[in-house]
Order: sequence, then structure tokens, then C-alpha cells
Amino acid sequence: MKSKLHLMECFQTLLLLGATILCFSHHSGSAANAASLPRVVLDADSIAPRPIEQQTGETVTHAYAQAWQDLADSLDSNNSDLLSEYFIGEAKQRLARRISDQQKTGLRTRYTDHGHKVRAVFYSRDGGEMQLEDEAQLEVQVFDGQRVIYSDSAAHKYLVLMTPGADRWYVRSLESAPNNAF
Amino acid sequence: MRRTSLTISGLLLLLTVPALPQSLRLQPPAKVTAGESFTIASSGSGTATFYLLGSSHVAKRTIHLGEDVLVPGSEVSDSGLYQAVACVASDCSAARFVVAPSSPARLGFLVHPSRAPVSTSNVINATVLVFDQFNNTLLAPTDVDLRFSPPGAASYDRNAATHRGIAWLEIGSTPKQGQFQIVASAGSVTEPRIVQQVASEACGLRLNGTHNGRFVRVQTEPVRDCSGNPLSDGTIVTFTKIDSEGRSTVDAPIKKGVATAQFELSGQARISVACGVVLGNELSIGGRP
Repeated sequence: MKSKLHLMECFQTLLLLGATILCFSHHSGSAANAASLPRVVLDADSIAPRPIEQQTGETVTHAYAQAWQDLADSLDSNNSDLLSEYFIGEAKQRLARRISDQQKTGLRTRYTDHGHKVRAVFYSRDGGEMQLEDEAQLEVQVFDGQRVIYSDSAAHKYLVLMTPGADRWYVRSLESAPNNAF
Repeated sequence: MRRTSLTISGLLLLLTVPALPQSLRLQPPAKVTAGESFTIASSGSGTATFYLLGSSHVAKRTIHLGEDVLVPGSEVSDSGLYQAVACVASDCSAARFVVAPSSPARLGFLVHPSRAPVSTSNVINATVLVFDQFNNTLLAPTDVDLRFSPPGAASYDRNAATHRGIAWLEIGSTPKQGQFQIVASAGSVTEPRIVQQVASEACGLRLNGTHNGRFVRVQTEPVRDCSGNPLSDGTIVTFTKIDSEGRSTVDAPIKKGVATAQFELSGQARISVACGVVLGNELSIGGRP
């Protein structure tokens, strides 16, 4: 019964938000999904020192999903302009550097994103920084021209730092981490 | 006869496939430190195209199989997972390796707020993010020392270990206003910050009045908080007069420690004073109708 109610709530939210799906899976978690957006499930049960507000959880989830979509599009098309919406600072610079290198070497990278299990672990008291641990299920193919030179389908871990801007949250740092990092 | 023709066609098929290098393989070191050059052992013979794939860098060059591949430190300045790939024609061999962050070289030190009221518990929060020289987050726990130097009091130290590159703590402000210096250090890196401790809410707010014909001039005594710190000039003090004509309010900033206002009287009046959430005394003044 509870799950039916939850589905109803999600459906209503869907109607309200149109293409962008944002619905709460439980008290402190949220999920972002849409036809074109990677699925992101946020778990904020162990966040400290500041609890996460419901709307902040939704906004962060949505921004992170958008960021991954932009990342995938930019690395596939070698277009760093696509990074401007949801990346900032070190994360943006690093991805732009990779795209520049890909352009020089004739490479491109294609991500098939099967979703992100994200755990929010730090949210500063002043609300200025949020740290996330992401376990992403990704298929990665690297092309040299038309030829696949590398492919992989596995869980990838990322340590993420997000900061709020005027109207959205930005990915400020996105660092790949070893599988045993967290 | 049928078996013989199959064998021959199998052999022909093998002959049409380009000769592959013997056991094309790359063997990177188990652990690499960001920014440090290293070599990747390769096996096989002939030349191959070598690719280095990192989160913020990709490289491509020709290598001689069987020789060590030199990877300069500039190609692994960012920590995280990398793939080394060697390809001969369409045959590729890949190997993963991890680049670990270097030693602490930069602190992101965020202290909030920049102005804090005195004698308030857990009002100052400090967050330290530890990075190496390439802005990689140090994942391994790192000791961070924080030295607190409050105004008019002895300095003291606190330690915190980072968790996934972040350490944070909250402290209370001390009773005296002034500059509260906080210095974070990890290894040889230090980063100072200043919090301005300011007077808290007014305490024992007192009002005096001087009656002059139809007018009364009211003035506070020097406005201080409960620790004796004078409230900053510019802090708003609200004077309220209630008489037969109703309620009249004047907001006046503190100047040189006191706030003043003047009211026109209409008969008996009561004048009160407030500053923030603090109420002061009330004066009853008789006026000329």
C-alpha cells in the first residue's frame, strides 16, 4: 500500500515537472531520472554535520544527473562548451583538459550510464559544500577514430564535491577513486 | 577428405590474419604517486600505439614492445584510475593502475561566519580540505592541527583527522570582542583565517530622558553586551513613545556608544527602548497639554 502511495506521489511529481523526474524514495533520499538523464539515487542518511533539506536533496540529485549527462555528451563530441552548465572550478578544468587532449589525439569517449548510487557524507554547517561518494555503473568505450581501443563495463567510484550557486548546485570536484576507497 | 579440406581452410584462415605480437601485454606498477614519472613494462615485439587514459588527460604515442614505456609525471598529475592501452592493428591490451595523491600541499580552509557574536557556543565552524600540489583530494586520513588565538585569551590547539580529505569542527566564541585568529596546518602547509568577534546582544539597556518644554530628549546609557563589550556604532536602537496621540517609534543608530532620540510630547507619555530582542527600561514623563 505504502509503495502504491509512493508511486502515486512520484507520478504526480512527474506530471508537475514534465520531462524531469524528481521523486523521493524515502525520508532522506531522492532520485533523479528522466528519459535522457542518468539515474541518480541519493542517500543522505549519514550526512554530517548539517542535515540535508528535502529541496536541497532534490536539487543536488538533479544537478548531479545533469552533470553526468553533460560529461558524457562533452567527452563523446569533444565539445567542452557542454561543461558550463553544471561544472565549475577544478572539475570543469580537468574535463576540459581531457577533451582538449582527446581533440589533439583523435580520441573520443562514450559513456553508457547505468546509474549512480550516491551517498552524501558531508554537508558543511554554512551550506557551502557537500561531499558525495558515487558508485556509478558505467560502460566506457574509448575510440581512436572509428576503432574501439578500450572498453569496460564496471562499477566506478567517484569522490565528488558540490557547491551551491545562484540557482543550482555545481560539481566542483569529480575525482575517480580506487574501488576500495569507500 | 572432408576433414582434410577443413584443416586446409583453417590453415588458410590463420594465414590471412595479420601476425600478432607475442603476448602483447602492459604491466604498470601497483601504485603510482601523482606527478612522479614511472615506467610501464611491455611485452611483445615490434611497435604498438600506446594510449594513456586518465580522468583529465589522455596521451597517444608509438612505443617499442618489449621495452619499458616511460610515463612522465606531467601525464599523471591527477590522482585516480588510469588505463594504459597498447594496440597493434586491432589487437589491444589494457591494464589499469591507480595514481595516489601526493603529500599535502594546499589547504582549502573555510571558516564561517566572518563575524561572530561573543560568548556563543558552536557559532564558528571550520572546514579544512586537504589537497596535494595538483589539487587532488587526499583520501588517506591526514592530521590537521588547528591553533586558535582568541582576543584577550591564551591560544589553544585542537587536532582533527581528515575523512576523505575533509576535517571539520565547531567551536564557541570567547567573551571579548576583537580578532579571533585560526590557523590550520597539515604537514608544512599553514593557512590562517580571522573571525571578527563582535559584541553580542545588548545587556542591561538603560534609558534616560531630559524634559524640555514640549519635547523630551532620550538617550541610552552606553550600550554593552553582558560581557561588557560595547555594541558597534550603527547598531539600531528603537525608542517607542506611547501617549494620548498613540504610538510613535524612532529607530536611531548607536553613535559613540549611545543612541539618542527626541519626541514631542502630548500629555503623559511612556517611552521605552529596545535593541534587537532586548528590552530596556521605560520612562514615564508628564508633558504639557
